[in-house]
Amino acid sequence: MALPRTCINLSRLTSTSDKICMRLSSFASTQTAKEKWDLLSAVCLERKPVIARNLLPIEKEVLSMAQKMEYRLSLKSDHEIQLEKDRQRQERIKQGDADDSDMDQASLNSAQDFEDASVEELSKFPFADRITEADKEKDQKSLDRMLDRHLLLVVRQKLGTSSVWILPQGQRQEGETMRQAAERVLAESFDGKVQSRFLGNAPCGFYKYKYPKHIREQDGNSIGAKVFFFKAHVTSDSPLKKGSCIEDFAWLGRDELDSYLPEKYRKSVTEFLIDED
Amino acid sequence: MILVNIFSSRRTFIFTSFKENMIGIRRFIQPLLGFHTSAVQCAEPMKKKKKMDPSIIRHREQRKMKRIERSIRKLERVERPLKPLDETQIPLSLKYEIPIRQRQLQPISQDIELSQRELLVAWSHHKQKEAERDLACIRKLLDAQGKALKELKLESEELYIEATQLDLSLLPYKAVGPTRTPQIKGYDPPDGDYIDVSRKWE
Repeated sequence: MALPRTCINLSRLTSTSDKICMRLSSFASTQTAKEKWDLLSAVCLERKPVIARNLLPIEKEVLSMAQKMEYRLSLKSDHEIQLEKDRQRQERIKQGDADDSDMDQASLNSAQDFEDASVEELSKFPFADRITEADKEKDQKSLDRMLDRHLLLVVRQKLGTSSVWILPQGQRQEGETMRQAAERVLAESFDGKVQSRFLGNAPCGFYKYKYPKHIREQDGNSIGAKVFFFKAHVTSDSPLKKGSCIEDFAWLGRDELDSYLPEKYRKSVTEFLIDED
Repeated sequence: MILVNIFSSRRTFIFTSFKENMIGIRRFIQPLLGFHTSAVQCAEPMKKKKKMDPSIIRHREQRKMKRIERSIRKLERVERPLKPLDETQIPLSLKYEIPIRQRQLQPISQDIELSQRELLVAWSHHKQKEAERDLACIRKLLDAQGKALKELKLESEELYIEATQLDLSLLPYKAVGPTRTPQIKGYDPPDGDYIDVSRKWE
């Protein structure tokens, strides 16, 4: 390439030619250093825990100890006072020195009856099960599974010739920000609107991979792809329907990611996922 | 009309001014010795009180009572406005009930107290490790985000600036925490649903 005019002037001013050489070499390196990478956006869509985890043994011990201490430090409630009075009245009636007011009071509903009725109502109340049917069937497409843990959306997409289990990803188009690309990728992966809430404009994680050699060496192609992950929470529990861009999908817990995601990819992904013990 | 009190100092005026007429004046004053006058009142004398008929008085008081009772009943019929929580007071009756409400329990044995203390030490260790894990997790998440933003900046300044914009739709952020059991699908509460009818001033 032709020497820039400024370089020729400099050569007249300075006696050394080193400066010109340095300028030329730096000009050349910035050209070749600017590799072409495809920019991809991926969605880290999670279903947050719906129920609290079971207590650890130490938590159970401390809870029972705290409840006992609270009982010791507390004062008697109205209900307890009433129970005591009822008991004393029963004693008086048994021993025969009861007066008319005692007999009147005894005929009313006693505090013990009220307590028994309340306890029975609680035992009969139909609470929903913590372990759902989806848990028992191990239905990986259901959002009802593993209610006390996070569920991560993983899809099987065709990349090049092979299909891999990854987080839904797609290339950024012209005029889009990375977050808009992520939202578009999610919309295209599934039929119907996915009720989700994206957490901010900034990516939460990063992964890059190079394309196979024969693709890289073709002119005009990029060396590889840089994937930027965006976090989102799924807000509805209606089941998703697979779209045309993906082959399959699954909602996975943290333990199940090992068998689905590729090794290096999984390491990058766990960097931005909340740890679960 | 000024009523002169002969026992006041004004008397001297009558006696000292005209000495030659003193005998004449003394003749005038003597019969007035029994005349008493009061101090200067810039007012009227009291009116005489008329005696009322006792039945009329009773009637009037009854009517007043009725009026007051009617107004009390009207106020009670209207719903009392609720007191703000800041103004609630502990009922005074509870102060006198404390001796009745105190529990008579046996003091804790030494063994149990020792085991409680050991448990609290173990608990503090557990919570400290939990806090350390949480902080490490947060640090890891922030590092991952920092790395991603750095890579994005290397690729394109424009996209980086877009990524660092605030997303105001996230504020105010509201999250409902996990419960002990999941929601019952299609539950119909026997007492009905709460519909919030509180006034909103915006």
